[in-house]
Amino acid sequence: MDVLQTSLDGLMIGSTYALLGLSFALIFGIMRRINLAFGACLLFGAALAIYLEPLLGWGAWGLFFITMAGAALASAYVERLCFAPHSKRSGAVTAMIASFAIWMQLDEISSQLLPQRTHAYQGLELPTLWLGEISVRGDQLLHFGMALVSIILLYILLYKTRLGLLIRATADSPESAYLLGARVPWLGFVVFFLAGILGGVAAFMILSADGHITPLFGLWSTFKGLIAMIIGGVGSLLGAVVGGLILGLVETHAGAALGAEFRDMVTFGLVFLVLVIRPGGLMGVKVYRTDNAAQERV
Amino acid sequence: MLSVNNLVTSYGLIKALKGVSLEAKEGAVTCILGPNGAGKTTLMFTLAGILAPDSGTVSLLEHNLTGLGAPKVLRQGLALVPENRLVFADMSVHENLLAGAFTQSRAMAAQVNDDIDKMYARFPILKARHDQPAGTLSGGEQQMLALARALMSRPSILLMDEPSVGLSPLIVDEIFAIIKQLNKDGMSILLVEQNATKALQVADYFYLLDQGKVAFSGTPDQLKNDDVIKRAYLGGG
Repeated sequence: MDVLQTSLDGLMIGSTYALLGLSFALIFGIMRRINLAFGACLLFGAALAIYLEPLLGWGAWGLFFITMAGAALASAYVERLCFAPHSKRSGAVTAMIASFAIWMQLDEISSQLLPQRTHAYQGLELPTLWLGEISVRGDQLLHFGMALVSIILLYILLYKTRLGLLIRATADSPESAYLLGARVPWLGFVVFFLAGILGGVAAFMILSADGHITPLFGLWSTFKGLIAMIIGGVGSLLGAVVGGLILGLVETHAGAALGAEFRDMVTFGLVFLVLVIRPGGLMGVKVYRTDNAAQERV
Repeated sequence: MLSVNNLVTSYGLIKALKGVSLEAKEGAVTCILGPNGAGKTTLMFTLAGILAPDSGTVSLLEHNLTGLGAPKVLRQGLALVPENRLVFADMSVHENLLAGAFTQSRAMAAQVNDDIDKMYARFPILKARHDQPAGTLSGGEQQMLALARALMSRPSILLMDEPSVGLSPLIVDEIFAIIKQLNKDGMSILLVEQNATKALQVADYFYLLDQGKVAFSGTPDQLKNDDVIKRAYLGGG
């Protein structure tokens, strides 16, 4: 029974990691942009929500919307500032370093918004459900549902709509997409904004389940997002989801079996194993490259 | 149909085109030949709106295309098949064709599907491979896909930059047969080629570009009687 309970808890946490990993995969995997400031964007959204909460008094749903909007705006800001001026491969390193600088900037702004370092982050208060001996926290079940719906909506957007076709084409070969009439700079902006929304939703779920926030959340979410992506395979959206779920399950089981202090050790052990055995990640996609132009971007 | 008048394009201080004028006639295959560094690709990029010229004009069917940018140039009816094809490698053949119809409005969905069927009829190999990632296709198949993708925008003139590059001789023959057939069906084509022998077999008229200028122009027949040009630019033959 314990194993089942722990697995269920892991799945619930894993679904939030999956969404977090997906938002990273959109930028790193789909757009192939090394955006180091992404975790800081999520922190900024959450810090802004905490800062505005006493002024607005909208409660948990207020935190949800402001975290999401703040993360999306910060992500769009990073795109305009760091990545939009460097669409070619020659600018990839400059863009990455610029995003690192903006990580610091967003971290600093967020620290100013969170003067007491640790602040309470209100969650949705829902009753715990019992299925015999097994229990599920109501808010976590809701988060699981939200993550599932977000993932399905993203899939539909990317693979069943014209905008999604444009986004994938632009990611694949920006030169060709431009020649075929796509507004390439605008699409980069759209994807960053979208990733900010997804990441903001994930940040809300993680923070409200924990009940508190510190200025370290930017770094923390970067770790979790990147790990989910590495386990699953950079470049694969499904991989990011699978990687997130695995990360949640492994963390929870390691915590239950060995104690919380060994949880991260086990996680990094898993990352090590994946890198040794399957360097491309579990669902690592075969990337078809027959020409140089597609590699113009890193 | 396509009129280029005194076009000057530079990269920084280097002038790659130094006043190029040419004309591509409706229903014809017009060919641009020339050695490496002559400015052929620069010319193509300027015509397609990827590069902006310093001076000079480009017009298609009386519409001024100069400095419009690639998406608008495409909407005016000029499509470019770039060198090295640049298909969307991770997307399926079918999705590549759909992407070619970006400029068609949503209301045209039925027509877009019709057009895709026409492309499959013209290029049966693309139909056979319709759900494969385009990156798994051979070079010749990718060239066909790039060509079909460009046609999906329903251009009035098609520009092709070095369609034979990196392909084996047999495949090159096939590609040129397709170009010929496409032209027979009424498509106006402006072709840039290094493979002069092949290009002159399909061309109605050609321009010889050298160091950013038109060095010679005429019909392929005229060239037969001009050994100087042949020796100087087209490798004896």
